[in-house]
Amino acid sequence: MKNSEISVRSAEIISYYAGLVILGTSMLMIIPVVTAILSREWVPLLDFIISAGIAASLGLLFVLLGRRTKGHSASVQWKHGFAVAALSWVMLMFLCSIPYMLSGHTRSYLDACFDVMSGFTTTGLVLTQDLDHLSNALNMWRHMLTFIGGQGMVVLALTFIVKESSGGYKFYVGEGKDIALVPNVKGTARIIWKISIVYLLFGTLVLWIAGLFIGLNPASALLHAIYIFESAWSTGGFAPNTQNIMYYHSFLYEAIAMVFFIIGSFNFGLHYAIWQGKRKEFIRNIEIQSFAVTAFLTSVLAVAALSKTGLYSDAVSLYRRVVFNVLSAHTTTGFGSLYARQFALQWGDAGILIMVIAMLIGGSACSTAGGFKGLRVGIVFKGIIADVKKLLSSERSMRVYKFHYMKDIVLEDGLVRASALIIICYMVLFGIGTLLGTFCGYSLADSAFEASSVTGNVGLSIGITSASMPAVMKIYYIFAMYLGRLEFLSVFALIGMAITGVKKIWKRKQV
Amino acid sequence: MEKKTSLIYCVLTLILSLSLTLVGFPVLAADNSVTVNELIENSADYNGKSVSITGEAIGECLERGNNAWVNISDGSNAIGIWMTKEESAMITYYGDYKYTGDTLVITGIFYEGCKEHGGEPDIHCSTLIISHTGEMKSEKIPAVKMILAAGFASLALILYITYRQIFNKKPERNNAD
Repeated sequence: MKNSEISVRSAEIISYYAGLVILGTSMLMIIPVVTAILSREWVPLLDFIISAGIAASLGLLFVLLGRRTKGHSASVQWKHGFAVAALSWVMLMFLCSIPYMLSGHTRSYLDACFDVMSGFTTTGLVLTQDLDHLSNALNMWRHMLTFIGGQGMVVLALTFIVKESSGGYKFYVGEGKDIALVPNVKGTARIIWKISIVYLLFGTLVLWIAGLFIGLNPASALLHAIYIFESAWSTGGFAPNTQNIMYYHSFLYEAIAMVFFIIGSFNFGLHYAIWQGKRKEFIRNIEIQSFAVTAFLTSVLAVAALSKTGLYSDAVSLYRRVVFNVLSAHTTTGFGSLYARQFALQWGDAGILIMVIAMLIGGSACSTAGGFKGLRVGIVFKGIIADVKKLLSSERSMRVYKFHYMKDIVLEDGLVRASALIIICYMVLFGIGTLLGTFCGYSLADSAFEASSVTGNVGLSIGITSASMPAVMKIYYIFAMYLGRLEFLSVFALIGMAITGVKKIWKRKQV
Repeated sequence: MEKKTSLIYCVLTLILSLSLTLVGFPVLAADNSVTVNELIENSADYNGKSVSITGEAIGECLERGNNAWVNISDGSNAIGIWMTKEESAMITYYGDYKYTGDTLVITGIFYEGCKEHGGEPDIHCSTLIISHTGEMKSEKIPAVKMILAAGFASLALILYITYRQIFNKKPERNNAD
């Protein structure tokens, strides 16, 4: 009896908080609604009213079902935090796809779900058709989703909707973020949003001026500035036109976008430390060191490999077509200054392999970036070095190894093991994706490129991702983007709770 | 007599030339008429050669000094066309949500990694023909969407009122267990 009561409470807790997150997202649809009104786009306006109505109704229904939870946030356990994050993301994927579907720009509801998950996870792969004729309202929605997804929907809901803060840290960690900037999790969430909004205002202004300079008219320069900043900062990679960043034909615009996507791939803790005047953190931080080394190596290797082809003979071309794409891949942004098929046809095996490695490594932990993160690469690398040193030193010597990540941390075996475990999970996800690609008839290189792009939440494509690709690949890619973004634990917790629930019901029936 | 023969020859030559032009032109045009995706897939073959491409002008004209970038989409993909400002001024409509852009027939040199433009694949326009002028699209509002919007907005409102009533009535005593 007690067990069943606990499971009922669990379901109610999950229902209540997932409902709040859904409700919060439905409120966000006000922004595309306002955009539609200002742009006099009446059909998209109706699409967003319908979508907001459905989302708000469902959110309220979930809240009402879990109403006994209100005021008792202390009873929230880790499993609830993980399950709420994982469930909210799935629910939101279905709900946020509705405006895509109603717009008629997707061939199926699955394609719409794919694009929403791609946005939420800041991947940036696109199945939406005819981007060049999309309404301003839908474009605003696409880029908003990727911006919010980068900071985290649950983080957003925590900041603005949930009044009580105890238990909040569990939701926050459930969404793949684990750094506490201040002791209070609501305070941490607010700081994350404050940092992002300040950058949004500054970045939009810079890109707006650049847009005017490259020939865009003032109104569209502003919209493009918002879209490109949101995409760059969240390391999303969406753009309002088919040609992605190539639409602008501008070194200046690409350079500004590059600065923002590199900054966006840094840890929020690092941003906060620098804001507080701790500038040395930038040099001492293990993630920055790891990123600097891997970004430099992959860029140099790619330039060396591509120089041989003779396609890019001058420094500017190499910078704009090679370094830009490598850094876009490494920060898991996915802005492309080349056509997808050019990777397959011109970059060769060496170029593709370098991109695969860069995409899998990804950006920083507790940032908007994906991949298995520079922090884990740094920890595992330092762990290996420490083990080698232990082997070479005297058995009697007891040396403590440390690394710097906001503060000096002792390099314990458990930490190295945990980091290695997540890297293995990513590699398994990548391996299955590659295998599936080859099973569906694509070449090994193409399959590996695309699988690393979805696993690392990057968004660059070699040409596989299209509306005509097999449905099984679309579903797997959605799952891989989702798992990669939430870093496995939340999804495993949700699956575990679902299995436990089914088992309990089964046992009760047998009794 | 000689004058008459020369005139006949002249007329025959003219007819023959015209016939060849009329018959041959589509063949020649078809020879270098490609889609954007064909250009990308076979970029090495087309690099530095004259190609002809037909597509809709999209977005807006991006002026750069005496020249301008015009992006065109042929349905398979989109590409940037580098042309003079005067040529770009001929274009009336650019495609977006509200407009169908002018359909352009561009003949120009394709570069798979243009040195002048930072290694970008582009076409430097030689001739521009506007085969069809674009237009403003009419936005028809479907009645079904209006009914659905009203229906779901009402449902959300009813649930919100229920939510307010439940939470305002017994804020703390709900969880008595």
